[in-house]
Amino acid sequence: MIIVEQLSKRFKLTRKQKQELEDAGDTIMAVSDISFTCQPGRVFTLLGPNGAGKTTTLRMLATMLKPTSGTIKIAGFDTVKEPQAVRRKIGFLTGSTALYARLSPNEIVKYYADLHGMEKEKFEKRKKELFNLLGIDEFANRRIAKLSSGMKQKVSIARTIIHDPEVVIFDEPTVGLDVITARNIIQLIRSCREEGKTVIFSTHIMGEVSLLSDDLAVIHKGKLLFNDTYETFLQQMESRSIEDEFIRIVGGDA
Amino acid sequence: MKKVFVILKKELIDTLRDRRTIMMMVILPVLLIFVMVNITITLGRSQARKAEEKELKVALIAKGNAEAFQSFLVKQKNIALKENLEADKIDDLIREEELDFAVVFEENFDRKVKERKSGDVKVYFKASRENNIAKKRINNALKEYNEDLLTLRLKEINDRYEELQLDRSFGEPLTIDEMDLSTTKERIGEVIGGFIPYFFVIFCFLGAMYPAIDLAAGEKERATIETLLSSPASRLQIVTGKFLVVTFAGLFSAVISILALYLAVKQATDLPPQVLDALVRIIEFKSIGLVFSLLIPLCVFFAAALLSLSIFARSFKEAQSIMTPLNILVIIPVLIGLFPGIKLNATTALIPVLNVSLATKEIISGTIKTGLLLEVYFSLFALAALSLLFCSWWFNREEVIFRGI
Repeated sequence: MIIVEQLSKRFKLTRKQKQELEDAGDTIMAVSDISFTCQPGRVFTLLGPNGAGKTTTLRMLATMLKPTSGTIKIAGFDTVKEPQAVRRKIGFLTGSTALYARLSPNEIVKYYADLHGMEKEKFEKRKKELFNLLGIDEFANRRIAKLSSGMKQKVSIARTIIHDPEVVIFDEPTVGLDVITARNIIQLIRSCREEGKTVIFSTHIMGEVSLLSDDLAVIHKGKLLFNDTYETFLQQMESRSIEDEFIRIVGGDA
Repeated sequence: MKKVFVILKKELIDTLRDRRTIMMMVILPVLLIFVMVNITITLGRSQARKAEEKELKVALIAKGNAEAFQSFLVKQKNIALKENLEADKIDDLIREEELDFAVVFEENFDRKVKERKSGDVKVYFKASRENNIAKKRINNALKEYNEDLLTLRLKEINDRYEELQLDRSFGEPLTIDEMDLSTTKERIGEVIGGFIPYFFVIFCFLGAMYPAIDLAAGEKERATIETLLSSPASRLQIVTGKFLVVTFAGLFSAVISILALYLAVKQATDLPPQVLDALVRIIEFKSIGLVFSLLIPLCVFFAAALLSLSIFARSFKEAQSIMTPLNILVIIPVLIGLFPGIKLNATTALIPVLNVSLATKEIISGTIKTGLLLEVYFSLFALAALSLLFCSWWFNREEVIFRGI
């Protein structure tokens, strides 16, 4: 369960950024007063164009950034007051995340399991399951640098959920992946939902929205413009396609 | 603590598998030191030999004076005497290196000597390391001629000479004996003591540099920093683990460089035995142990500073371009420490890097004073603690960690 209430994040602008954004002050609101709830066993999609505030929101959920105002509760813990407890409950994956090139899949997965303080037996069992499921066994001891991007993605997935997190956060997880590798991620998100985990993922790809969403929020310029179930979204649609509807909501000229 | 160890272990494995790091940490110092030691020894020796064996082109301008001098000069080895040169061309010939030395006796030299006055002799040359060694031959000839003239004078006054019970010491009222009480260790410590911290400090810095870049900027570039930050390890644990690995890398590199220096000196077998002996004694356990205890806080400072810069950088490349000029900043105080006049005192003991360089020199010569050594420790530990505090505060700043990602 993720409960976000009146969340805002203000960033100071560097001199260079100020020059780029004319008529800007010293700060910019990356996220401004947003509230939403993600339920266990459902996939919550955060849809928005580049620069909408998706990454900032998800980084605040993952305790990497501190909110300027508002609160976030993950699995019952406050991200500001109990960040360690929150981090024990979450798995985090972004599309741009690479792996340590000089380590092997075995070593990487063990590293994250150790950081989560997993017990040895529990870890071995979980690793066996995941490696089997994802087919990592055959290259488990090769260095990451020598693996294909599909293989690397599988290791990233195993790494994200090795500690069996209650809440999984995906920040544009399929960015830069080919169709087949992206399919692994879609599969992962679905199985997380089936296992009753709370899943939030951000994207700007419409295809993924229709494939996965149970709940949907549209974010633009740091504000939520839509926040309801995906079903409601489809019912209220005024345009012919999801893409057109999205563009209509964010007020762009199609 | 357990998480720090988990991070430390992983970063250590990662670092030791990196060829670039191993190159900087081990191969570069070993190679450089072997090459430098051998070049210095070989060049130094061959230069000295060359100067001794070189045929000296010497012009003798005496205008009929000082006839005996020529025989003393020719007695020296490898002298090519140039006669009948004009006095006013000598300057140019020496400047153009057509001539190495010119010995010019004044016009009425013989008359002055006869009148029992001093005759004027001028020796022209261009000072250089080589000429300074070669000049000994000219000086020897002059000295012998001087003694010869003195003996003649004494003989001339033979009668009274016996009567007054005079001997040659009449001409030398002073007998000067310089009693140098410095030990070989001290003298050599003064000369090479300055170079040892040079290796230590530079390689300590270089050895720590690559891991620092890889462990912070590299983690940003791969975006793995996000996964690490969303793991249950706290920022302090993360920075501590990384910091320990970077410190270790720097110290390891320094150890390697001193080992290489020891071996390089040992394999240079044809060093004069007393020099070799002193060198081997310099690199003895006690002094090296002391020097090392200075290096630890210095390396902590390097590691904290390098990590702070590295986490600020957006990429591997940016980190590299920030750090490369820093090299020079480290080399400058070490170079200042090589100047002969600069000593460890209450002020210099507080200046980081320079204090290590100066203290090392004194530790190796065995002349270090406890009070000053404590001051150096104090300064280094204070600096190390401050930089470490800064580094962990820096790692907690969102605008630093997420700069450019």
